Amino acid sequence: MPAIAQQPGVTSKSIKIGAFGALTGPGYLYGQLVMNGVEVVFDQVNAAGGVHGRKLELVREDDRCDPAAAIGAVQKLIHQQKVFALIGGGCSNATLAARDVIETSKIPTLINASVHDGITTPPAANIFSAALTATIESEAQLDFALKQGAKRIAVISMRDGWGRGRYTPLMAYFKAKGVTPVADEELTPDANDATAQVLRLKAANVDAVIMVLYPKPAAVFMRDASKFAFKPLAIGQTGIADPKAFEEQVGIPGAITQFRTIAMVKFTPEDSAVDNWRKLIETKFPGDRLSVFNLVGVGSAQVFVEALKNAGPNPTWDSMTAALANIKDLNIDVYPGPISCSLADHRCNRVPAWLAKDPGKPVRVLPSSGG
Amino acid sequence: MILFSYLLMSGVTTGALYALVALGLVVVNKATGVINFAQGEFFMFSGFVAWVLHVQLGLNYAVTFLFTIAIGFGLGALTDRIAFRPIAKADVVSLVLATVGIAFVLKGIARVLWGGKGDYLSFPSITSPDPITVFGLMVIPQQLAVLAGTIVILILFAAFFRLTRAGKMMQATADNAKAAVLVGIQTDKIYTLAFGTGAAIAAAAAVLTAPITLLYPDLGFPIFLKGFAAAVMGGLMSLPGAVLGGVILGVAESLAGGYIHSSVMELSPFIVIMIVLVFRPNGLFGFQTSRRV
Repeated sequence: MPAIAQQPGVTSKSIKIGAFGALTGPGYLYGQLVMNGVEVVFDQVNAAGGVHGRKLELVREDDRCDPAAAIGAVQKLIHQQKVFALIGGGCSNATLAARDVIETSKIPTLINASVHDGITTPPAANIFSAALTATIESEAQLDFALKQGAKRIAVISMRDGWGRGRYTPLMAYFKAKGVTPVADEELTPDANDATAQVLRLKAANVDAVIMVLYPKPAAVFMRDASKFAFKPLAIGQTGIADPKAFEEQVGIPGAITQFRTIAMVKFTPEDSAVDNWRKLIETKFPGDRLSVFNLVGVGSAQVFVEALKNAGPNPTWDSMTAALANIKDLNIDVYPGPISCSLADHRCNRVPAWLAKDPGKPVRVLPSSGG
Repeated sequence: MILFSYLLMSGVTTGALYALVALGLVVVNKATGVINFAQGEFFMFSGFVAWVLHVQLGLNYAVTFLFTIAIGFGLGALTDRIAFRPIAKADVVSLVLATVGIAFVLKGIARVLWGGKGDYLSFPSITSPDPITVFGLMVIPQQLAVLAGTIVILILFAAFFRLTRAGKMMQATADNAKAAVLVGIQTDKIYTLAFGTGAAIAAAAAVLTAPITLLYPDLGFPIFLKGFAAAVMGGLMSLPGAVLGGVILGVAESLAGGYIHSSVMELSPFIVIMIVLVFRPNGLFGFQTSRRV
């Protein structure tokens, strides 16, 4: 089969798929854990005979959440490992840096965790995303605040590359909605105190705060807000996707009762609906406990496999790219809404889930999720 | 007035954290004349060590505190032996670069050992997590613990340098290493002691502040930067100067954030440093050395 032989990473028995993301450091949640989710889906597919008779083989590369390392990781996967397609991308800045290499190579790629708008907008012919994007999340944050009846809405944000990627579309959406934030504060990623910010927001009589923050500054903010008995509706995003861990990071009982955050998946790790995935993850990776990041990988891998099936028995880069673009209203068990891609818009996942956690109780998915 | 009081209290407690890092820098600098760029990584690494002892192995807080300080001292002494002493006679730039290398090594090890445990590891507070009222102001007890720890460490080290033989030998080595050798001081041991002591201070600081800072492998450099700024403001050789520098930085950040805007918080301490150094180029407690010719 000469046509097959010329496709990188494809043999008569297997298809080699490349994954890139952080395997070490704080960003491993969006890399290693997501890849673990991808791998258990591939295992299940392989156990059922593979895709058109070929077994899926996952090759991982560590981008350390670092832009330069991400470029190196992607180049290694494409040119050295000669994988057929890519699934991955954890830290946004790293994935954004690798976009040019991926786009130039034309290798079919499905992003599964990075949210920066620049990864999918303007669309590159071969790059699709099963992750929410910064704009989708930012708009969902403001919509959520308004839906909850908040009148005096404030923003507290980081202004680094990650923060700007969310802050800019958020402020544009404020303008589009005709809403003016009553306060607009900044907090650095390494802040250890947020007294000044809390006092300013409290003085502004805020009833909802949209947080464009990593978990650490967000925890510092919630801790200091609790100190001053300031408990507005606090609205996070997928950067703070684990309310249970966040509660421990804040460290003050009851401090996050008014905290709500976005998740890409509609189940918590404790949910019985994901028992199957829990069993697969905890069997394959002893010592691991199922996390939402695993489920992000599980969801994206199912989208990827569906496209690979649709690419036909002799998949090529062109047929795989076309298959990704043609995914329409695909319901995946873990995602809150259907997955739909198109040639014009490569942001295939547009529906967030909302999470909350009460003291001493498990994380719960809010009924508004998916709507 | 109440706003000012809160901002002042917040600035002092944040400044205490900077001061603890600055103290370690000053101790090493006093003895060796070298700025230890790995001080932030000593802090980070020790925090993870304490997390292993306290959270994973279940040791009580006091034992964790003592063990972590001992391990921190050992780490500092080991660093001196394997990375500093072999090039001790090299120029100061090489020595400083060696400490930068140590910082990268420690961060790399931390990423491998603890980089896959959680994005930001939480460390249980040694005090009640609930805010308390002090002089009519709401404060988090852990912040007071950091403040108290800073004062205790400052007193202990002031006493160490003034009252103990080892402390006096460290001072003598810092003043004039060649003269110290001539009077029989084993400067190699002094350097080991200095690195060990600096790392031990970082370890004590890490255990005290980990509930506030949380733990992650990239924690070290931002902490170092603020500690270094505090040490520069204090004059680089003065323990009280380091503490005062840390507190001034913390208060400058807090007041600027409260009265101007939170976007100027990061900038404000460095403006203060520039102003201080214009009027006192050697820092608040620094002095110009002069030589009789």
